[in-house]
Amino acid sequence: MLWYKAWLETRSRFLFSLIGIVGLCSFNVFYGDRGALSYSKSEYYYRVLGAGHVFLALMWVIAVTLLMMGGLLRERASGVSSFTLALPVSRMRLMLVRIGMGLMQSIVLVIVPWSVMFLIAATVGKTHSFSQAAFYIALLLGGGSLYFAIALLISSLVEGEYTAPIVSYGIALALLIVFDGDKLRSYDPWRFIVGWLYLDRHTALLAGPIPWLHIAVTLLIALPMMTISIRTIQRRDF
Amino acid sequence: MMTDIPVIQTTYLSKSYGSVEAVRGVNLSVRPHQITAFLGLNGAGKSTTIKMLLGMIEPSSGEGKVLGKRIADPAESVELRRKIAYVSENKRLYDYMTVEQIIRFTRSFYTDWRPDVEQQLLRSYELPLKRSIKSLSKGMRTKVALLLALARRPELLILDEPSEGLDPIGIEQMLESLVAQCGEGTTVFFSSHQIPEVERIADNVCMIHRGRLVIDASLDDMRQSYRQIDLTFSSLPEEKELRLAGVESIRTSGRQMRVFVSRNAEVVVERARDLHASSVEVASVGLREIFLETVKES
Repeated sequence: MLWYKAWLETRSRFLFSLIGIVGLCSFNVFYGDRGALSYSKSEYYYRVLGAGHVFLALMWVIAVTLLMMGGLLRERASGVSSFTLALPVSRMRLMLVRIGMGLMQSIVLVIVPWSVMFLIAATVGKTHSFSQAAFYIALLLGGGSLYFAIALLISSLVEGEYTAPIVSYGIALALLIVFDGDKLRSYDPWRFIVGWLYLDRHTALLAGPIPWLHIAVTLLIALPMMTISIRTIQRRDF
Repeated sequence: MMTDIPVIQTTYLSKSYGSVEAVRGVNLSVRPHQITAFLGLNGAGKSTTIKMLLGMIEPSSGEGKVLGKRIADPAESVELRRKIAYVSENKRLYDYMTVEQIIRFTRSFYTDWRPDVEQQLLRSYELPLKRSIKSLSKGMRTKVALLLALARRPELLILDEPSEGLDPIGIEQMLESLVAQCGEGTTVFFSSHQIPEVERIADNVCMIHRGRLVIDASLDDMRQSYRQIDLTFSSLPEEKELRLAGVESIRTSGRQMRVFVSRNAEVVVERARDLHASSVEVASVGLREIFLETVKES
């Protein structure tokens, strides 16, 4: 039933995000190639999908940050943490369920919009590629784990309904600025999830194999952040 | 089987927040199958103590056991919470659930849930199952919180200011439920500053003031031993002449003295007579007077 609680707690935010992202991504597929220049149709359309992905990634980071703004610290602010903590459940389990629900929703927020973009493109006869879609999805899910972990950590450290998301967005923005330098650009998590590190500018296609090593490294950074979040909540007084 | 092993037992339990000592060396012993009231002013340390018992706050020092489980051990704390029903001070519940959903959610964690009691409380509290928690008044929310605690057969029922937000009928129903629960073998431990409620149902009283436990006694014993003694003298003696064991406070006004004792009233009376008191009046006192005197003197 903790999953049921986690779902009820986040469903409005999740469904609102999903509908918003799918709607805007679909709009992009239908109308993003209006006023096309004289590229080949195929290349131009990949550009449209690439732009759609950037849009999707931006919305995804915003949505995931908002989805992770829950948990015991927020409950403490609203006074309901006493009820949760009186249940015969460990704080570890509460956190794992929250992380699990967050991960599932985050994955759905990538898979569903991309599937919709892909299906619409295939249905209306526009160029589409399964391997390109899979590449983008892998980048966003793998690299996005860092943004997920940041949001979780901040929600475990910072109290306040509005303070925590503002701090999370602030950190995401700070990462963008810090990694903008020439030397650090290839490690920029934002450039990674939107695919710019692997984009062939001439064809507008992602080139090369899926960077599993980079994804693994990102996950290795995200994992300790999630562990710290759990430990923080386990030790905190409510 | 009835045992006399305390359901709640703490030893020098303390909690500090920086330089502020919220709870100071509390030695609490709550007897089983009885109703124990936990009295204290706002900010006296009642909620902090209760939260330590439930594992929500880690004690700074000291230790405690509830139902034989150590409160500071996270795994044991989960185990003991299976046997406890708790109603928090603010009675906040999940705003995003309906009454029906939160009942279903809570029920899933406990094997001692009683559907018949749930139905009976739903009827007597007139709770709307389909309404969202968010739209309920504070009184209705309190009733839902009480239902979630009372629709079980826990070994221990802990309530933090349970009557807050309830109308007189609701308070009456709640008090009756607590007595009924106790009659079925549940130990009830509730914090309050509503003296009439405590006097009506409590067997024992623990009083906390500025983080210290100042009284831990049965209500009957307190009624028997606490006395207010009004003395009149033709020549007023020094207060120290009457500072005997059990004397909690002495107030002097003109040729009169008012002595408040927690025990040994007869010894004080005898001493007053020795000091040539022209008038001695001994009156029994209620919990309200005891509470006020204790709080003033501490």
